[in-house]
Amino acid sequence: MNGPTVSGPAAPLVAVDEIDVISPHEVTGRKFVRADDPYLEGHYPGFTIYPGIFVIESISQSVAGLVARTWEDRAGLEPAGITSVRFTAPVRPGDTLLAHCQVSYPGDDLVQVRAECRNQRGVKTATARLEFRLTEVGADV
Amino acid sequence: MYDHRYIRGVLPHRHPILLVDQVEEISYFDRVVAVKAVTGSEPAYARLPDDSPPSHYAYPRSLMIESFGQSGAFLWMESIRAAGQELPGTLIFAVARDVTYHRNAYPGDTLRHIARMERVVGPNAFLNGQIWVGGELAVEIGSVIATAREASALGEESPSAGPRLATTGNTHLEELS
Repeated sequence: MNGPTVSGPAAPLVAVDEIDVISPHEVTGRKFVRADDPYLEGHYPGFTIYPGIFVIESISQSVAGLVARTWEDRAGLEPAGITSVRFTAPVRPGDTLLAHCQVSYPGDDLVQVRAECRNQRGVKTATARLEFRLTEVGADV
Repeated sequence: MYDHRYIRGVLPHRHPILLVDQVEEISYFDRVVAVKAVTGSEPAYARLPDDSPPSHYAYPRSLMIESFGQSGAFLWMESIRAAGQELPGTLIFAVARDVTYHRNAYPGDTLRHIARMERVVGPNAFLNGQIWVGGELAVEIGSVIATAREASALGEESPSAGPRLATTGNTHLEELS
């Protein structure tokens, strides 16, 4: 087990507590969802749901952690697009989100990710295909 | 033009994740133009170290999509209210496809969302559109599906605790009239 990424681009929240790098092509991120996580007080008052875009953040930050450990010089990661994402079950405070990500590097700076997210009961909460670009760390875009 | 107070009466989202500041134009069941001002005082910047490079100040792209989605939700919910109908449950972000990012937004920028409603099938609304920043195309959104889902399907709490969208919208309208 490795610790979460603590510094990087602005993000709505630290969306992974820990990541498990299985190989340069596979990583699992784990996020215990708390009602007092940033932004959640407004989503929604009296009925908290972990927003779908935060599930995407959990996936992205898991992959960012993998990339930082895999690439030495170009270890930054910028979202390039969402090919598809489908949210199939809500994630609520007290749930643990497990984001299992398969990562490929088809060429140039492109990073393609297929992710499947489940909660602690094994219920699938989301599937996603995302694209990123590798950047140099701290590069001015 | 709809101000932030009015938007609060329509959307269930609240501070700090209510990410629509103003709605400039609406054509019911068709199109909406909405804006969101990006500021460095948002929680996303709270933990950014002082020595961060300029690129790290980019507004999170996930929040850009959330802000677009809320603009689309406003279009649907306000259209339904105007038609005298009621949304059958809580609005959920169900699917997104073919989203392409072109440029970043930074504190001081304004996001301008143009969201179009392609069609409504049962409890699902299909939206697409663009996000513009300073006259430049920042994000293209091929398709977003928002679904109205019964609150009982979302968790174990009482549905009455959930954001009953049509109710909050109506309450606010009565105050305005």
